[in-house]
Amino acid sequence: MTFRSANIFGPLAVLVMAMAASAAPAQETSKAVKTVQLTGLAGVKENARGMLSVENGNMHFVHGKATSNVSASLIENVVTGNDSQKAVGKTIGTLSMAAPYGGGRFLSLFRSKIDTLTVEYRDANGGFHGVIFTMPVGTAEGVKKELIAQGAHASSSTLAEKEQKP
Amino acid sequence: MKRLLNLGMLLCLAAVFSSTPGWCDEKGPSAKIKAGAIQVAAIQAEDIPVPQEFRVALYERLIQQLEKRGFQQVYRDGDHGAASVPGLIVLHSTVRGFKKGSEMARNVTTVAGATSISVHCQFTDADGKDVLERDVIGKVRFFGGNLRATYDFAKKASHIAYENFSTTTSK
Repeated sequence: MTFRSANIFGPLAVLVMAMAASAAPAQETSKAVKTVQLTGLAGVKENARGMLSVENGNMHFVHGKATSNVSASLIENVVTGNDSQKAVGKTIGTLSMAAPYGGGRFLSLFRSKIDTLTVEYRDANGGFHGVIFTMPVGTAEGVKKELIAQGAHASSSTLAEKEQKP
Repeated sequence: MKRLLNLGMLLCLAAVFSSTPGWCDEKGPSAKIKAGAIQVAAIQAEDIPVPQEFRVALYERLIQQLEKRGFQQVYRDGDHGAASVPGLIVLHSTVRGFKKGSEMARNVTTVAGATSISVHCQFTDADGKDVLERDVIGKVRFFGGNLRATYDFAKKASHIAYENFSTTTSK
């Protein structure tokens, strides 16, 4: 009997331990979000696409092989907003302007909503920096909450948030 | 008689050259003010609701454009290193007007939906004494998103800095 119960509880204990192990880092790390860094991060080109995540008290932006980190404790303000962008953008969107019968203009009517995340922080010398990210709609608020939970500051009510809440 | 005519011609030419500003004198309007470095202060707004992303974009693009113009020592707002620089010029920017347009309206109608941002630029010395003041308007009329107006402003403001200030390394 004791041998049987050991057979049952052995794998169960391993399973519980594995679940606990996988749950522990989840409190410190967040799911990476596909973002576009519009401007502001040192050493990263404008409009660089990458993955943004918040883990171990830092904001990480991974772009190609390069990684930019900003400590959440240095962040003075985090603001979310919303905007929209062309569904058919960049070079094709611009070239389509030359299409006959207003075809390019017609394409401009198709737009996708995006979230913006503005992060303000100070470097080690006290210099003020600002970074603007765009990301899929509905994701910016989650990143902001993660940053605040890990030590970032945010102004109580910002213009963009006032606009969102009529 | 010929001598008198020649003398008259010479006097006329001398009068023309001496009255034209900037031809002979070295301290004409093109004389630049020497600046040890430029510090960009954070963007302020006078009771105008300006989205935070616009303020940040104005600030960051202004620093980028100043560096592109050849100002190698461009300090950020609050940088401790700027305090010890002799001949520091501080650029204060205050938003005085903002009209957020629509990229879709611009693309569809061509004439409507422009975004414009009017900024008062004030260059002061380290003690806060006025050196130069200008109003700059950044616009986006057709191509690009609304934030492109900040790029237009930064290009114009950095051009003003380039025309009026010289650092030893500026282009």
